[in-house]
Amino acid sequence: MLKRTFLKMGAALAVTASLASGASAAELNGPVNYIIPFGPGGESDISARFQQPFFKDKFGQDLVISYQPGGGGAVAWATLNGLSDDGQTIMGVNLPHIIIKPAQKDVGFKTEDLKVFHMFHFTPDAIIVRADSPYMTLEDLVEDAKANPAQVTISGSGKATANHLAHIKFDKMADIQTTYVPFKGTGAAVTALLGNQVKAEWGYSTVAATQGEEVRMLAVAMEERHPLFPDVPTFKELGYDMVGGAYRGIALPKSASDEVTGMWSDMIAEINNDPAFRQQMLDNGFAMLDVEAAGMEDFMAARSEEYLNDAREAGLIE
Amino acid sequence: MPDQQRQPEGHVGSLVISALFVIMGIVALYDTTGYYDRDSQVFPRTVAILMILTAGLSLVTRFLHPRESGGFGTGTWWRRVLLILAMFAGSLAIPHIGFLASGAIAFTGGLIAAMHDRWTVMTAALYAGSGAAVIIAFFALFRYVLHVPLP
Amino acid sequence: MEFGHFLSALTPFNLVLALFGVVAGTIVGSIPGLTATMALAVLVPITFSMDPASALILLGAIYTGAIYGGAYAAILLNTPGTPSAIATTFDGYPMAKRGDGDLAVALACFASVVGGLVGAFALLLLAPPLSKVALAFGPIEYFWLSIFGLSLIASLSTGNLMKGLAGGAFGMLLSTVGVAEVSADIRLTFGSQMLVGGFGVIGALIGLYCIPVLIDLVATPDRHLKVEEDVRSVRIGEAFRIAARSKFNLIRSSVIGTLIGILPGAGGSVAGLVAYSEAKRTARPDQKFGQGEPDGILATESANNATVGGGFIPTLVLGIPGTPPDAIVLGALLVQGVRTGPTMFSQSGSIVYTFIYGLLIATVLMLPAGLLIGRYAYKSIVNIPKAVLVPTVGFMTIIGTFSIRNSVTDVILMLGLGVFGWVVGRFGFAASPIVLGLILGPIAEQGFVQGWTIGSATGNLFGMFFGRSISQGIIAFTLLSLFLPLYTAWRQRKKPQEQS
Repeated sequence: MLKRTFLKMGAALAVTASLASGASAAELNGPVNYIIPFGPGGESDISARFQQPFFKDKFGQDLVISYQPGGGGAVAWATLNGLSDDGQTIMGVNLPHIIIKPAQKDVGFKTEDLKVFHMFHFTPDAIIVRADSPYMTLEDLVEDAKANPAQVTISGSGKATANHLAHIKFDKMADIQTTYVPFKGTGAAVTALLGNQVKAEWGYSTVAATQGEEVRMLAVAMEERHPLFPDVPTFKELGYDMVGGAYRGIALPKSASDEVTGMWSDMIAEINNDPAFRQQMLDNGFAMLDVEAAGMEDFMAARSEEYLNDAREAGLIE
Repeated sequence: MPDQQRQPEGHVGSLVISALFVIMGIVALYDTTGYYDRDSQVFPRTVAILMILTAGLSLVTRFLHPRESGGFGTGTWWRRVLLILAMFAGSLAIPHIGFLASGAIAFTGGLIAAMHDRWTVMTAALYAGSGAAVIIAFFALFRYVLHVPLP
Repeated sequence: MEFGHFLSALTPFNLVLALFGVVAGTIVGSIPGLTATMALAVLVPITFSMDPASALILLGAIYTGAIYGGAYAAILLNTPGTPSAIATTFDGYPMAKRGDGDLAVALACFASVVGGLVGAFALLLLAPPLSKVALAFGPIEYFWLSIFGLSLIASLSTGNLMKGLAGGAFGMLLSTVGVAEVSADIRLTFGSQMLVGGFGVIGALIGLYCIPVLIDLVATPDRHLKVEEDVRSVRIGEAFRIAARSKFNLIRSSVIGTLIGILPGAGGSVAGLVAYSEAKRTARPDQKFGQGEPDGILATESANNATVGGGFIPTLVLGIPGTPPDAIVLGALLVQGVRTGPTMFSQSGSIVYTFIYGLLIATVLMLPAGLLIGRYAYKSIVNIPKAVLVPTVGFMTIIGTFSIRNSVTDVILMLGLGVFGWVVGRFGFAASPIVLGLILGPIAEQGFVQGWTIGSATGNLFGMFFGRSISQGIIAFTLLSLFLPLYTAWRQRKKPQEQS
């Protein structure tokens, strides 16, 4: 007991020491500011938190996460190009947000303004119901929606978001009409599902990982089944050509040099290739993605086209 | 609670502010016509109409029953203006000259505005010194302990 | 077994951490613009390198300390240090102005400890059943809850009802500025990029409450707070007697705070407002709420600290964080490999219970720490010459507002709103209705739109809005607090002889 206490005191001292040295290291090289353009608790935050210890471990610097919510991310992205481009500041980016928002109105940034250097994961779209729901399969839901147009209520996070676009797309593919109820963030949408306020939720596979036994995922929008849910079919298997979700990556200011961009792309790739990191992400329902700086242009172009098409058809943009 | 001093400007001022709220309501109402999504319209519309009604009612009752309460009260205007101008100037200068220098601008302005006693060399030195200490302490706290990227 | 967790929470190291956390949190909370979220976000990496339970105790202690610390600025500067302390300004600042600031700070401390303990015990003993509260609250219930909160405007603006309502509507309009939170539009920005991010609650609070105080302070040579000539003894005993007399108010407010804390998306500010509203509704005739009534502080401060324990209930049981600080703690737990959600209490019991006991210990430590810091804060605010106080507070508002999202725009908006608030406040449009509208507006809007969407889909709009039992209960309370004051006023007018 006493020995453990001493060990803990030692740990505390070490922590204090590392805090102190962190302060002085700021002048030399400094901890990296990792800005999340949303509040804490969402998928962007959680995945950044997972990266944090691996970054410290591999590169010896602290990754300091801060939150700058507002305007669905627009506030932070609009400030990115005013920040230092020496690689000490990076910012999380999300698809479809950085494509849809600037297409709607002038929100202070354009998609091309963000130098996205790595897309490291995505959360696949998924339809989720409560464990006691009468919908055992996706087909049950589709049949009910066909019999009772607009009466199947589905919660989701916000509008003009991945959830909303998935809802529009799926309704069209299955030739059904369901009612989408937008909530503020995934947490609120899940609360509404668990509280029986809606019949289903357009969410991500991460929701099924967090909620476990309480919910049932009917289908997931991946090429192949998620390793954590070997029993959940993909939309493709069920005859709906849907693969996608919300993609997350990291960006630098536009003026960052190629060396800085390359360095960051390599560093994030190294974390992404760590089996322990991959396992942790998968265990929490994320799906991995390894788009590095070199392949970013093609990736973004393909995604942009798809999102803008979907949004135009949905009447979200002109 | 607002002071209830008797001021001649209270009546007119109250009318003007009520009218301002009505106008802001109308502007907001106009803005809602340009939204894509019906869900975005319902709430601001309802609230804007509520604001026009309540501010309008306040305007009418105040017009029919003039009361003199309200007003800017006594006090030195140049001090108020100096304080606000210094704070605005300091804030606008942040991206250009950094936080420490712009903090000094805001602090000095506020100090002069709030100084009602006689200046002596002693107080000037003391207050300037404490100002520098405050600015540097907060700067250090935010920048190095909380890692806020202050320019 | 549970006692074992209590002992492991009680190691000297954890005690030191809890004390440090409470002190740091109190200081963080007392500075407007410096939030518990910010402090916790910076500290999370520490949890990677130390025992997770100890780290969590530190985070919890900072959180609970920050909610209490918010009361200082509310009482002494009329500026809520955190949104949770909005209703503390209603009576706290009038008390400070008349020279009872030290008493108010001590009252806030007692109330915070009681509220924190009630919330933490609810978390310890009743978490799984209470988490059902979060699920029972649907969009419509949130809508009516926000209407209940807004009804406080009526009783706050006696004699100026129309202006109060107009101010509330203005606040709600302010809350819609920028990119809409759930719908897909960008509203009321008039093409300006400055407004895309909207008015942040914290920046708006600082502007609307603090800037007018500063403007008034510089205009005249009067002292900021009245100070009694004779040096009185410490007023802890007096505060304790008042708190003990109002034990029913304390318990009711703590329970309200715990329950509202459980609702994700409501939070400490709503809890404080609802508890204040209830305390005011049930007040004795001799109590003058809004003019320095101690029970107003007791209600708000016990309710907002109770939301700390309450908020961890859905966070730990359902994996759904109620407030941003809860979300950060949740993130720290996930990184540690702790699976939150229904099975957490059985699977990761030892970490969870050590954390809850740590929270309890931190709350108890808040009593001596809070009283001590409170006295010091009061003395320094009273003794600092005005010429230094004003620019210091002014600088704090700038740096605090800037740090929320590293944005100069936010600072400019804060100052602009402050000047606007000062001008309209001079003509009867008080700040509090605007702030109420700003805070409750989004809850009302989202609840209404979601409820309307679901109600139309299922073809039962009326039943959606009026047919659900929790909604009916909230509606009843709203009507009660709206019309009871009118009724009592009418009764008193009928027998005018009674009041001299």
